[in-house]
Amino acid sequence: MTRIASHTLGALAAALAMLACSDSAPPPAPSSEAAVPAAPAAPQPAEAAGELNLFAWSEYVPQSVLEAFTKETGIRVNYESYGSNEEMLAKLMSGAANYDLIQPSEYVVEALVKENLLVPLDKAKLPNLKNVGPEYWKQPHDPGLSYSVPYMQGTVGIIVNTEKVKDPVTGYADVFQPKYKGRIVILDDALEIVTWGLATQGIAPDGVTKENLEKVRPVLAAWLPLVKVYDSDSPKTALLNGDVDLGIAWSGEAAILIKEQPGKFAYVLPKEGAHMFIDNLVIPKGAQHVDAAHQFIDYILRPEVSLQISEEFPYTNPNLEARKLLSPEDQANPASYPPGNPKLATFRDIGALAADVDKLFTDLKAKSGS
Amino acid sequence: MKSVRRLLATWTGIVFVFFYLPIAIMILFSFNQSKLNIVWTGFTLDWYAALWHDSVLVRTLQNSLIVASVTTVLSVVLGTVGGWLLYRYRYRASGLLETFVFLPMIVPEVILGVSLLILFVTIGLQLGYTTIIISHVTFCFPFVMAAVQARLAGLDPALEEAALDLGATPVQAFTKVLVPYLMPAIISGALMSFTLSLDELIVTYFTASARTRTLPLEIFGRVKKGLDPSLNAISTVFILVTVTAVFLTEALRRRNP
Amino acid sequence: MRQEATRFNAAATERQRQPGRAGWLLLSPVIAWAIAFVIAPALIMLVYSFARRGTLGGVILGFTLENYASVLDPVYLQIVIRSIYYAGITTAVCLCAGYPVAFLIGRADPRWRNLLLMAVMVPFWTSFLIRTYAWVTILKSEGLLNSLLIQLNLISQPLEMLYTPGAVVLGLVYTFLPFMILPIYSSVEKLDGALIEAALDLGAGPMRAFSRVIVPLTTPGIAAGVLLVFVPSLGLYAVNDILGGGRVDMIGNIIENQFKGNARNWPFGAALGTTLLVSFGFIYWFVNQRQRATAAR
Repeated sequence: MTRIASHTLGALAAALAMLACSDSAPPPAPSSEAAVPAAPAAPQPAEAAGELNLFAWSEYVPQSVLEAFTKETGIRVNYESYGSNEEMLAKLMSGAANYDLIQPSEYVVEALVKENLLVPLDKAKLPNLKNVGPEYWKQPHDPGLSYSVPYMQGTVGIIVNTEKVKDPVTGYADVFQPKYKGRIVILDDALEIVTWGLATQGIAPDGVTKENLEKVRPVLAAWLPLVKVYDSDSPKTALLNGDVDLGIAWSGEAAILIKEQPGKFAYVLPKEGAHMFIDNLVIPKGAQHVDAAHQFIDYILRPEVSLQISEEFPYTNPNLEARKLLSPEDQANPASYPPGNPKLATFRDIGALAADVDKLFTDLKAKSGS
Repeated sequence: MKSVRRLLATWTGIVFVFFYLPIAIMILFSFNQSKLNIVWTGFTLDWYAALWHDSVLVRTLQNSLIVASVTTVLSVVLGTVGGWLLYRYRYRASGLLETFVFLPMIVPEVILGVSLLILFVTIGLQLGYTTIIISHVTFCFPFVMAAVQARLAGLDPALEEAALDLGATPVQAFTKVLVPYLMPAIISGALMSFTLSLDELIVTYFTASARTRTLPLEIFGRVKKGLDPSLNAISTVFILVTVTAVFLTEALRRRNP
Repeated sequence: MRQEATRFNAAATERQRQPGRAGWLLLSPVIAWAIAFVIAPALIMLVYSFARRGTLGGVILGFTLENYASVLDPVYLQIVIRSIYYAGITTAVCLCAGYPVAFLIGRADPRWRNLLLMAVMVPFWTSFLIRTYAWVTILKSEGLLNSLLIQLNLISQPLEMLYTPGAVVLGLVYTFLPFMILPIYSSVEKLDGALIEAALDLGAGPMRAFSRVIVPLTTPGIAAGVLLVFVPSLGLYAVNDILGGGRVDMIGNIIENQFKGNARNWPFGAALGTTLLVSFGFIYWFVNQRQRATAAR
């Protein structure tokens, strides 16, 4: 009867042995139950300046960049990741924070500044800050970049499968038409969807108020029954699979689609106005390695390093010097560098209204769902 | 009776096809050229080669295995002892205790994660293996206990008494008589714990540190960039190693019983 | 859900002994664990459920009942009802599909039992996400299943399978079926073959032997399986997001959103969670007490 226990253990031992071969520092053997939890329970000593605790979006900082930084400075980077701003805040607000550098989007930066939770940047330590394009210095969430340094910028726009959709699509109203029922994927994100509705009423994203939410309710009530898929994690999947033909999603998703299947997908910034998001590097209060954090920020701002990030993630690079180094094809990708002069706006912190926005979306979704 | 048996076997076969169909797809796509894991474009071994250089993926798998094995051992001990004692003795408020033990099975993961994180921060416990394992055991050992209790149901407590009458110490009665009897429940409980722990995402997010990230966290992080086939490759390798090890031990055991 | 198991437990109550010092000492790790890692966090959530929403998540401590008032809002009630409906269907399908498998494994040659049991579990040692996306590959309109059906001339147009309620149930059943099979297996394994033979000898057909002898004897396993499937499937929402297209929210989505989504409304999430816990805890405790009382009579 104990056979299966020995099976399981045998299997585990073999798997671990295999893993240990490919890793320089094998973990403690799992067979002795006491040894394992004991070792890591000891607090990890913070080697002065030798370490940097980075809490950033998953897969957003290339491993190669981190390794090169460590090689040059001797500072080891502990990269912990999250999948949404709110997920990051949830861990940060629980008090688990000994992070030295976090990577919030613009509206979260604004809220963090308001709550006095950020360390002001020492610009003398950031000579490469001059590479950041002038338009990024005057955004309302942090004018003059006192607390935040833009990392990457993107937009939320319309992705069209041009093989299936022949009529021109220029704005939100063109997407949400009855003839496209069951052929649409959109982000599963209440605030995004509400701002799209607002845009069709001529209201900018900073106009989220109780009254405007009521104004936008009938618009969204007509839209949501047409939607087939809500997906914030990988909206490209449904488009690639051919299960839907139109989508409203992050520009990065569009850029990947355009790169993977050239000529099939088009990216359109809605004429009513589109959301421009800026992901930033900021230093939270309580950070223990403030110097190392500055060093890392300045390292990221070097054109050749920034270029590496751009090559891996096809977002818009706020670093003008790095943009110059991009290949002509990448510079021509309309999802990363949209032509013309599109109408773009960032999100603002909406405070307690966030709960109302969420409830509105939940309600409409439940009523439109099957 | 024969037709019944054949029917059962056929149905079991269908269920196993259902279980293994997605696994077959996963293995197939680990050899696919396209990075996007969606359409078949051609055969390659590149993803297995990539695995060799992907130290992050390998390290997170290691972390997952450490956490899952320790969690399984602790859950089996707590769940078996707890299930047996609650069956054997008439404790005051045992119904209440049972209710509390089973609560983590229904607590939404995000609530378990956030509240445990706040607790760990309050008592000053550093995030790491310990905190992940504590949180995993909390929702895994009820599964062992439920299985053990189902097995004990209807058992005559006299079985143990008989052993005691024959001169066994209580410890011997437990290890020599009860544990063998409970073994099928312990095994299924252990398998459930291991499986649940290996694949847990949300509670782990809140209780892990940068150095103790597990494989599910890493995989979830990669969804945005597209789940590239190296993830299929690492799962394939893991399954193949497990299955091989199982068959090897089985073969060895059968040769020298 | 476990009332049947409890009744069996209760039947033995008269033979249960009063715990001595050793009995309490042995149980103390379980008690300590429950206090430290179940009751303490639950109390934290209880306190939070009466607090006010913090700007960035977190809470401002205080006392308000408005979070519980929101729980009763019809917007959320309809979602609770739908979650129970989906979890119920999932449990029923798992029971029907899993029982025969558990029975076969439990009655198989002992040499094969454990291997078969491993075979049930091994697919689940891969990542949930990878498994679920594999189902997307199978079910999508240009996917494997549709191509197969078209090849076989069974259909001429691809069927819409992905992003339907059916796909959600399929995904839930796939995820939870092993948790039905394993506990039933450990009940079937201890069945006395002679009892079944006797029933058949006495002229009971296989159906009667099954419903009158086998099912009652494996009820504790069935009850445990139902508990292990129904309860977790109430909270699981990732299947719904990936295979259902996220069109219908489940109770799990709503709670998740309060902590990790736009809403950032921890007190409301805590109130929802507390309500769920208290109702589950109460039902469980009540059924347990009643069974004990019935048995004692």
